[in-house]
Amino acid sequence: MARELSIDLDLGRRREFRRFVVVSALLHVALVAIFAFSPSFAVTSAPMGAISVNLVGAPAPARRAPAPPAKPKAAPVPTPAPAQQRPKPPVPEKRVLPKQTTTPKPTPRARREEIAPEDVVRPETPQQEYSDVLDNLRSELGEEETPAQPEQVAAVAPAGGGGTGRPVSPEVADWMRRARIHVRRSWVVPPGFRQQSLATVIDVELDGGGNLLGEPEIVKRSGNPWYDDGVLRSIRKASPLPAPPEAGVWNFVFVSDESY
Amino acid sequence: MRTHPNRTLIPLLLALAAPAAAQERPAVVVDPGRKQAYDVAVQRFAEPSGSPRPSGAEKFREDLGKALEYSNIFQLVNPRAFLGPEATDSLEKPIVCSDWTQIGADALVQGELSRDPQLLTAEFRVWDPARCASLLHKSYRQPASADPAQLARRIADDVVEAFLGVRGVSATEIAFVSKRRGNAEIFVMAADGSHQRAATANGSINNFPSWSADGEAIVYTSYRQANRPLLFLSTRGRGRPGRLLPRLPTERAEYRGVFSPGGDRIALVLSDDGAAEIYTSRPDGSELRRLTRHRAIDVSPTWSPDGSQVAFVSDRSGAPQVYVMSASGGEPKRLTFQGNYNTTPAWSPDGQWIAYESRVGGQFDLWLIDPDGSTNVPIVAHPRNDEGPSWAPNGRMLAFSSKRFGRSEICVVDVGGDNVRRLTQNAGENTAPAWGPFPR
Repeated sequence: MARELSIDLDLGRRREFRRFVVVSALLHVALVAIFAFSPSFAVTSAPMGAISVNLVGAPAPARRAPAPPAKPKAAPVPTPAPAQQRPKPPVPEKRVLPKQTTTPKPTPRARREEIAPEDVVRPETPQQEYSDVLDNLRSELGEEETPAQPEQVAAVAPAGGGGTGRPVSPEVADWMRRARIHVRRSWVVPPGFRQQSLATVIDVELDGGGNLLGEPEIVKRSGNPWYDDGVLRSIRKASPLPAPPEAGVWNFVFVSDESY
Repeated sequence: MRTHPNRTLIPLLLALAAPAAAQERPAVVVDPGRKQAYDVAVQRFAEPSGSPRPSGAEKFREDLGKALEYSNIFQLVNPRAFLGPEATDSLEKPIVCSDWTQIGADALVQGELSRDPQLLTAEFRVWDPARCASLLHKSYRQPASADPAQLARRIADDVVEAFLGVRGVSATEIAFVSKRRGNAEIFVMAADGSHQRAATANGSINNFPSWSADGEAIVYTSYRQANRPLLFLSTRGRGRPGRLLPRLPTERAEYRGVFSPGGDRIALVLSDDGAAEIYTSRPDGSELRRLTRHRAIDVSPTWSPDGSQVAFVSDRSGAPQVYVMSASGGEPKRLTFQGNYNTTPAWSPDGQWIAYESRVGGQFDLWLIDPDGSTNVPIVAHPRNDEGPSWAPNGRMLAFSSKRFGRSEICVVDVGGDNVRRLTQNAGENTAPAWGPFPR
C-alpha cells in the first residue's frame, strides 16, 4: 500500500513538473524579449572604478574584517561608533615614556563577521594606492618601477605619498612617492606601535645616488624612543633610496598607523 | 580601521619641526607597511672549552628562538642563511654589521653559555646591525639546577624590551583552574603553555587563583575545609601554604581574594549568610575594611595599578554590571551600561583599561572600557564564549578562557585582538586564568 501511494504521488509530481517547465519556458522567453528591447540593460555593468577601489584595499589586510567565523551569530552585535567614542589621541611630547604608559591603545574595531559600514576600508586616493601596489609587485618581481609620466604626476605633493600640499615639480612628487614605498618596505612597525599616536620627523642627507650621508637627524621625536629607534633603523636599512631629484637634505615624517 | 595621515596635523608638525635646510622641500610622509615583526638572527651561544658539563647551546638557541617568536614582534632568520658566524666567537669582538644587514636581520643576538657544578651562566649581547650598534649587554647567573629554558625566556624578554621598550612576558606564568583530573584544581603553566603542572591536589573544588605581587604565592578559593569556600595560599616553597585568613571564622564564606599591586592589602569577597560584599584587609586578615554595603551581590574585585581604586561586579541595578569605587570606601560609580550582563573586570597594568566579559547576542565576548567609561570597545569576538580576561604584566596581551574549541581552554590574545593562541588542550575544562607578575 505504501508503495502504491508512492507511485501515485510520483505521477502527480510529474504532471506538476510538466506544467512548471512550460510556464518557466514562457517566462524565460518573455524575459529575454524584455532584455533585448530595453536600452537600459546595456549600461548596467559595474564601473571598473568601483572594483579598483575594493582591490586597493588589499594593502591593509590587518585593518579589514577577519575571516568570517564558522557559525555566524544569531543576533547582530552592537558595535561601538568609533567616531564618537574614540577620543582624539594626543601627539605624545614626552621624550621618554614611563614603561607603564606604553600599552597600545586598542583600536575600536569590531572583529566580527558583521562589520559596521564605517569600518570598510575606503582609500581616499585609489589611483595613488593602486600605483603603489603595482610598484611593489614590480619591485618584488625584480622589474623597474614605471617611470613617471610628467602629465600623470600631480603638481602638488600627493598627500598619501608624502607632502604638505606645497607645489612641487612632477619629478619631485614622483620621487617622493617612490621613496615612501621604498622606505616603508624596510620599516618594521610592531602591532603595539601601530595602535599609538606616534610621529617622528627626521632629516636625511642623500647624495645624488640616494645613498645616506652621515647620520639621520631626528628633528621631532615621537615621545617613544623605541619607535624613534625603529625609524632610524629603517632609514639606514633603506639606503640607498631611489636617486633623488637633487642631492641634499630631505625631510621624512614617519607616522604610526591609525594615529593621524 | 585604516586611516590616512591627517592633513592638518602633519603640515603643522612640519612647520614646527623642519629646519631651514629642509623647509624648501616637502616632507615624505611614510606610513607603516606590512612588516610587523623584526627579523632576528640568533647565534649559537659559545660554550667554554673543557666545560665539565655540557650546557646544551643548541637546545638553548631553540628555546630562545621560540620565546622570541612568542612575543609576536620577532621572526627567526634561519641560521643556514647566515653570512656571519653561526656561533658566537667572542662577545668582545665587534661584529661585521654588513654580514647581518645583507641577510635582512634587524637584530642579532649572540652570547656565551656555561654551566659548572654551581652555576648556570649566560652572557649575551643584542645588536642592531642596521645602525651597527650594541643595544644591550647583560649576563645572568643562576644555580646550576635552574631550568635553561626559563633562562632563555628571560633573555628573550630582555631582547623584546631592547626593541619595544616593554619587557616581554615569555618568562611569566599563568595560573588557571583545570578539571583534567576530574575535580577543579589550580594549575600553573609557562606563558606559552608549556610546563603545565598542578599547584593543588586536594580533591576538593578549587577556583579563582590570583597571584601575590611578588609571584611567590597564589591565593585561591577552596572547599577543602569545613565544606565552605575559604581562601588558601599555595606558595613556591618559601612561604607557608594554608589558610590565608586563619583569624577569620570559618562560618563566614570567603569567596575570593585578590592581592593589591603593592601586595600590602587584599581585596576580599565575604559573606555572612547574606549577600556577598567587597572588603579589603591586610594579607594576614587584620585591618578588615568593608567597602560595599548593599543587599545586592558584589563580587569580582580588581585593583587599579596604583591600588587607589577597586572595580567590581554588582547586580544592584538588577543585572550584573561593572562598578568602580575608591579602595578606601565611598559611593561606587557604575561603569558599564552596554547589555545586561557584564562581569569579571580586570584592570590593565597601565591603568588605562578595564577588560571584562560582556554578554552580547547570547554569548560572552571580551571588551575593554576605560576607567571613566568614555571608550568601550571589543577586543575579540567569537560565536563561542570568551571569558575571564587577565592581563599580561606588560599590558600587551590578555589570557582568557574560550569555548571556541568545544570545551573551555586557556588562550592568549594581543590587546589589539590579533594572534589568538591556544595554550591548553587537555581533557577537562580549563578556566579562570590569572597571569602572574614578571619574574624577579
